[in-house]
Amino acid sequence: MGIDVFGLIALLVFVGLLLLYGVMGRRWPAVFRPMPGFEMLGRGIERAVEAGERVHLSLGTGSVPGKDCAPALAGLAVLSRVAAATTMSDKPAVVTAGDGALAILAQDTLRAAYAKVGARERYQPTAARMLGPTPFSYVAGLPTLLASEDVSIHMLIGSFGAEGALAAEFGERREAFVLAGTDDIPSQALMYATAEHPLIGEEVFAGGAYLNVGELHRASLRAQDVVRILIVGLMLAGTILRTLLDLL
Amino acid sequence: MRLRASLVWAAVASGVGLIVLLGFFFDIEPLRVARQILVDWAVLLAAWALILGLLNLLSVHWSKVSQQEKGWPYSAVLLLFFLVTLILGLLFGPDSPVILFLFNNVQLPIEASLMALLAVTLTIAGFRVVTRRRDLVSLVFVGVGFLVLLGTGPWLIGSEGVLNTFFRDVRNWLAQVWAAGGARGILLGVALGAIATGLRVLLAADRPYGE
Repeated sequence: MGIDVFGLIALLVFVGLLLLYGVMGRRWPAVFRPMPGFEMLGRGIERAVEAGERVHLSLGTGSVPGKDCAPALAGLAVLSRVAAATTMSDKPAVVTAGDGALAILAQDTLRAAYAKVGARERYQPTAARMLGPTPFSYVAGLPTLLASEDVSIHMLIGSFGAEGALAAEFGERREAFVLAGTDDIPSQALMYATAEHPLIGEEVFAGGAYLNVGELHRASLRAQDVVRILIVGLMLAGTILRTLLDLL
Repeated sequence: MRLRASLVWAAVASGVGLIVLLGFFFDIEPLRVARQILVDWAVLLAAWALILGLLNLLSVHWSKVSQQEKGWPYSAVLLLFFLVTLILGLLFGPDSPVILFLFNNVQLPIEASLMALLAVTLTIAGFRVVTRRRDLVSLVFVGVGFLVLLGTGPWLIGSEGVLNTFFRDVRNWLAQVWAAGGARGILLGVALGAIATGLRVLLAADRPYGE
């Protein structure tokens, strides 16, 4: 029987910090650095609701059993907040994904958000949909959707490859508010160029904390920071020790 | 009753997630078998979800065509080719020459042309970055992109000149020192973010499967 002791300790430290900050959060609220993208998103959604325009959230081209579903799960957390804010609009939020399972999860999230604000009858299953099963077939379906649904807020929070740059560009061409993030590093560089508000690195996972989805979202951001400092500290210590050992 | 159902879903999601997660840390036979079975189930469920997603796609476009909504002709074309491909696939099989012909001569060229469009899009976006976000980071971003292009592409005046070698060295230095270091830092942040997101689902703080 083999046990990955180091991995297990790291996981337990992460869970411990998450729960600790979750409990401490109300007493000692976290102060995060300003992120203009998420700050402007709230005002943008209000404007879109007043103007009768639609908010679109793309969950990317990743798939649920794959390793690339984590950003889409973060996108679903953002959706729960955004959907609640747009339920009473003439044109409620629409969600798209490149995977059937993600589309179903988006439907469930929308249904729950409508139920929470007592507007269950306004929920439409077609508000969450699969656009295409391959990355480029998904992106090819976006321009028609953005035009036909009068989208003015175009959010991309999910896993994207190079197609993410095109997805962001289609929103820019409509002069929409474009907020885009992914877990793929080369695609982040492409989105930095094409999107008005790019999300770099772990910012794609920070939407829940910035939009006040829940206490554990803020706690997880603080836990990430502590674990990152620990890892960087260990890396530096390891480098110094290795150098010293080589010198001696 | 509703509350009880949501608790059951949360318990199932957390329990299954925990078994799969523990399988990464403990190399025990029963745990390994249980983990494999659960992952296989997830793959099967994902395949059914794909079918449901396609039905969802059909229903959205059918509704657009039947109500003659904005952009309905595109939906009609999609429905037509969806049904043609489905029928041909069911009749001849997914590996048949007919389906391969459609894939190689319709889907592949369309996706390749979209990829080609990306080059044009990025060039325009590069100019837009400089005009819209006039800060140091954007200037560095575009400047580095330009230097990497100079060091990567072929040169009109021969590829072994002093200037060419200089830009190739600059490109290698930028890619192997600055970009690789930065990418590792970003990767660390992404990995921690993904772990935190997974843990929130495991702890049932995030319930994307409904309340």
